[in-house]
Amino acid sequence: MTSVVSKPNENFYHQSKSKGESTLTEEQLLKKDAITPEDVLRLNKITESYLCNPEANVYEIDFTRFKIRDMETNTVLFEIAKPADLVEVYDNNDDVDPNAGRFVRYQFTPQFLRLKIVGATVEFTVGSKPVENFRMIERHFFRDRLLKTFDFEFGFCIPHSRNTCEHIYEFPPLTKELINEMIANPFETRSDSFYFVDDKLIMHNKADYAYNGGLSCN
Amino acid sequence: MVLLKILKKLKQKEKEVRILMLGLDNAGKTTIWKKFNGEDINTISPTLGFNIKSLDHKGFQLNIWDVGGQKSLRSYWRNYFESTDGLVWVVDSADKMRLDDCKSELHKLLQEERLAGATLLVFANKCDLPGALTAEEIKSILNLDDIKTHHWQIVGCSAVTGEHLLEGIDWVINDIAARIFTLD
Repeated sequence: MTSVVSKPNENFYHQSKSKGESTLTEEQLLKKDAITPEDVLRLNKITESYLCNPEANVYEIDFTRFKIRDMETNTVLFEIAKPADLVEVYDNNDDVDPNAGRFVRYQFTPQFLRLKIVGATVEFTVGSKPVENFRMIERHFFRDRLLKTFDFEFGFCIPHSRNTCEHIYEFPPLTKELINEMIANPFETRSDSFYFVDDKLIMHNKADYAYNGGLSCN
Repeated sequence: MVLLKILKKLKQKEKEVRILMLGLDNAGKTTIWKKFNGEDINTISPTLGFNIKSLDHKGFQLNIWDVGGQKSLRSYWRNYFESTDGLVWVVDSADKMRLDDCKSELHKLLQEERLAGATLLVFANKCDLPGALTAEEIKSILNLDDIKTHHWQIVGCSAVTGEHLLEGIDWVINDIAARIFTLD
C-alpha cells in the first residue's frame, strides 16, 4: 500500500522483467486459469476488474493495517487498522458490494506529492495453513502512465502469524506539470496490488488516490 | 535518515542486502528494529511472525527481518535463512537464567549451511538495566571467541536509549560490503 511515484525507467523490476516481453491485456489474463507474477508485470495499465475472486484467498490472508509516514519528520500521515475483534457481518443483505474489502480510497493534500522519504507499512495475518513463496506486486499508475512497481518476496509465512512490512523509499522529484495534473485529477492515480502464493494469484486489491485535499472544489 | 546514509556507502552492484535478526523471545529484537527509524517503542507486543523493513535506494534494497523468538516459533527460523548476508543475534543481557539457552540456540544457527557466509553481530541488549552483564561477560558466556566460521562482533547496546545501535548496524553493513561489494 504505497502511494508512490517514480520514473518508470528508474524502476529496476519493471526494467528487468518486461524487457523483450510484449504487453498483455486484462482480457487475455482473465481467460487464464492461473495468473502469474510475470503476467501482471506485463500489464501496461490499471485493471478495470479484479483478476481473481475473493474465494481464491484460501490461506485466509487478511490485511489488518496500513500506515504511511514521512520519514524526514517522523510524522504518521495516514493510518487505518482493522479492529482485532471485527466480525464481518453481511447477513442476507444483497446490496453489499462483495468487493468492499478489496478497495481503499486515499485522500491526501497536495503536500503529499512533495515528500522526500516515505515509509509505507502493511500488516497482515495468516490462517492455519503455512504460506510458501508469498509475493506482492503493486503497480501505480496515473492514467496510463506507470509511476511505480513495487515487487516484494515475503517468502514463507508462519501459520496463524501476524506480520508487518514497512517499505521505505525516496520519492523521486516529479515534474511540476505532472504534480499539477495529479492534483487536478483526483482518483486518476490508481494502484493494483497483486498477491501470489507459489506464483499463483490469490488476492487482488485496488486503491485510488486524490491529492487535492484541503483545496476548494470548483 | 541514518540507515539510508549507511546504505549509501554501498555501490549498487547487487540488488539486495538481507539482514536477519534472531534471538530468544523478549531479547528486544522488535524494539531495536523499530528504534532504527525512530519509531515509537512504547507499545510492543511479542512478535508472532515477522517484521520487515525494506529500504529502497536507487533500485537497491536493504531488508531487515525481525522474526519472533518464542520457543514455538524457533522451528520456523530456518525458513528465513536463505540469502542472509548478516545475522544479528540479540541477547537480553539481564536475563542470566536463559543465557545457556541463548548460547545453544546461537551455536545451532552457526552450524546452518545457509547461514555459512553471513556476518554475525551480537547485540548485548538492555545494558542499561541494573544487574545486566557486560558485553565482555556475554562474549565469554556465549563462547564467541570459539567462532572461526563467521566474521563476528559483539556490541553492548540499549534499544530503549538507542545507545550503540547504529554503531552495530554500521559494522554489519561495512563487513558485508567488504565481502560482497567494493566500498566507495
